[in-house]
Amino acid sequence: MIEYIKLFFIALVLAFLQAFIIQEVDMGFWMRPMPYLMLFMVLPVNINKYAQLIIAFVFGTFIDLLSGSFGTHAASCVFMVFIKNLIDHRFVDFDSIQLQGENYINIDTKGQLFFTYYTISLIFIHHFVFFSLDFFEWVRFFRILGTTLFSTLGSYLLVLLYKSIFRR
Amino acid sequence: MWILIRWIKHNSYPLFALILFGFSINQVLRYHIYQHSFYFKSSTAFFRTIDQWKSNVTEFVNLKQENIDLRNENIALRNQLKINSYQFNKYRDTQYFDSLNSKYPNLKTAYSYITTKVIRNSTNSPDNFFYINHGKLQGITPGMAVISPSGVVGVILDCTDNFSRGMSLLNSKFEITPYIPELDLRQGVLKWDGKHSNRGELLEVNRTEPVKKGMKILTSNYSSIFPPNIPIGTIEYINPESKSHYHEIRVKLATDFSRLNNVYCIKYHFKNELDSLNMSSTINPNNND
Repeated sequence: MIEYIKLFFIALVLAFLQAFIIQEVDMGFWMRPMPYLMLFMVLPVNINKYAQLIIAFVFGTFIDLLSGSFGTHAASCVFMVFIKNLIDHRFVDFDSIQLQGENYINIDTKGQLFFTYYTISLIFIHHFVFFSLDFFEWVRFFRILGTTLFSTLGSYLLVLLYKSIFRR
Repeated sequence: MWILIRWIKHNSYPLFALILFGFSINQVLRYHIYQHSFYFKSSTAFFRTIDQWKSNVTEFVNLKQENIDLRNENIALRNQLKINSYQFNKYRDTQYFDSLNSKYPNLKTAYSYITTKVIRNSTNSPDNFFYINHGKLQGITPGMAVISPSGVVGVILDCTDNFSRGMSLLNSKFEITPYIPELDLRQGVLKWDGKHSNRGELLEVNRTEPVKKGMKILTSNYSSIFPPNIPIGTIEYINPESKSHYHEIRVKLATDFSRLNNVYCIKYHFKNELDSLNMSSTINPNNND
């Protein structure tokens, strides 16, 4: 129970951080990082996959409400969690993670390389959907791709920063 | 049914994700002004293209009936032109009319016709509309009458550069004054009955008028939109037990709206003049100057 309350507060902090600080800071044309995706990296592995989708939708909609971008965060979060569950089902052995006394995928349990690939690919998927919806024209495909790549890098660095500060 | 339920149960996770995703996309398209306009602009263009393709296919399928209609129309036109057939064969029609104009300067063209094609048409809603593939650039203006080879179709409501939308006779707001040539009668109002795509009803014709089944109904010369003597339909049934002062008449419409393809838009050249006259008499009905 305490675990879920903690998660709830983490979600709140991440949402406010995203909407009121990170989004307001101008980091240039290509860089719009979204470290709130950290929340999905620390969700306990034993949560039902339908519940994960609902959490993604509600959390995304909440950020949309705070930042005034109706639907874009929600759609990209739902899509990312859908893919995440497929990847988890195929590549991640939850029993071994739980045997090591952890509740989610971590650098310590799965190694730096796996964690990097896993996080970066999920962030990339999220950002690609997000910027596609935001720019909304295939004519601007290379701009979408460029913004996605640089923002993925930015988001990943912020996730690592979060990891090093909170040790979660 | 069970197969469907089993399939849904089996694929419930992707379906659930799809529903949530669709809901979010719906929000994006509804509340973001740029995405909203972009989506509707592209989808309208897309559906008009599909309509154009569909119209090409149905045109081919209906070719035989279209031929019969055109042949009938040709015969009707030939009959009308019997008196002038000599001159008509001698000159091309524009030259003929030009020569007429120079010979009789008082003679002016009242109606001119533009051939177009229907690309979308409905017959099953309470207010039906049709779309044609001509617009402002081709000379179509709102208020023009539309007829098919077999009879009255409707009136143009609004136009874009290349397309126009018209109110079909199968519309609750469409009314027209009929003319029954056998009785020389110009009375009443013809409307769609609201149920069948080939039936109308003729209202407000006095019970004293000896209307009979099978009588033809044409457009009258009172209309400021339609030229006179265009077929509207035939009287199909007269209710003998009508209790009001008026007949209850059911009309079989001349136009087959389910097979609408080639139509003519008709421009009435004196419409503005007539309208201005109407307007001045409405402003000052007792003006005797």
